[in-house]
Amino acid sequence: MEVGQMQGRLVDYTKSLFMEGFLDGQFLQLQQLQDESNPDFVVEVVSLFFDDSEKLLNDLTMALDQKNVDFKKVDAHVHQLKGSSSSIGAQRVKNACIAFRNFCEEQNIEACLGCLQQVKQEYYLVKNKLETLFRLERQIVAAGGSIPLMEMGF
Amino acid sequence: MAPAGVASGNPAAPRRANEGAPAEEEKGNEFPRVILRNRLTALVVDGSRFCRMVEQGLLQAYGLETQAVDNGMAAVELIASGANFNLIVIDMLLPVLNGLETTRQIRAMGVRCKMLGVTAHFYEGERQAFLAAGVDEFIEKPLTPDILAPILRELDSQ
Repeated sequence: MEVGQMQGRLVDYTKSLFMEGFLDGQFLQLQQLQDESNPDFVVEVVSLFFDDSEKLLNDLTMALDQKNVDFKKVDAHVHQLKGSSSSIGAQRVKNACIAFRNFCEEQNIEACLGCLQQVKQEYYLVKNKLETLFRLERQIVAAGGSIPLMEMGF
Repeated sequence: MAPAGVASGNPAAPRRANEGAPAEEEKGNEFPRVILRNRLTALVVDGSRFCRMVEQGLLQAYGLETQAVDNGMAAVELIASGANFNLIVIDMLLPVLNGLETTRQIRAMGVRCKMLGVTAHFYEGERQAFLAAGVDEFIEKPLTPDILAPILRELDSQ
């Protein structure tokens, strides 16, 4: 596959992530922070997001598994996850966190467990999508191409 | 609408819309431009390494010199040691010393710089409390160019 085709495929794939709500405008802003002085910013920041999130999901699983659930603790973890998912532009994860917090307030364990499942699902989906995105980018660079700049007006 | 800058033959993979253009060119059509005349410094106070990286990245993109600490007590100690900043971006939820108390202590030292309180989730009660503790503005994450640009223009003009 030649570079132009690969770039086209990347553009289409990226657009689909926005259309399907996996990513929002915040992700585009992060991409715009990347330049020659900071060439791996997006990959680094996303990889920190993955580390952060997986730790939070583990903490949440443990916190909800306790005999006496400490909802304040659960809420604090969800709060963190909401902050980082909105800062990376992972829209669906963020929205799942918003729903989760409502059930924390109600101290509804069953609903919280359901929300945790939902958040995990959305997280692993977006993780998979981003890893694919980066793989497509690496292929283009390896073939000697440059990454097309996404614009908001699509 | 086709994206701009679909050029080939550049192995460094920068994300430029128009390569070879003068340095004053905008980084992208969504980035509000602020060309600073003064040297501005910022402190980021956030327990999450990810959030510190994102916020510092944004501030540095606008040309600020930044430092970051990962808890409230470290922020108080840094300021107490004489470090000066034009802007402090401080998360409400912090380890060791929380955002509210950290803000109060910083203000109590006579520090008058711009303080921007951030939180992952916005509750009106929290906003009032954070403002009362001494932040000038309070926003929900993420910190974006739209929020930052007017603040930077204001600081640069002082």
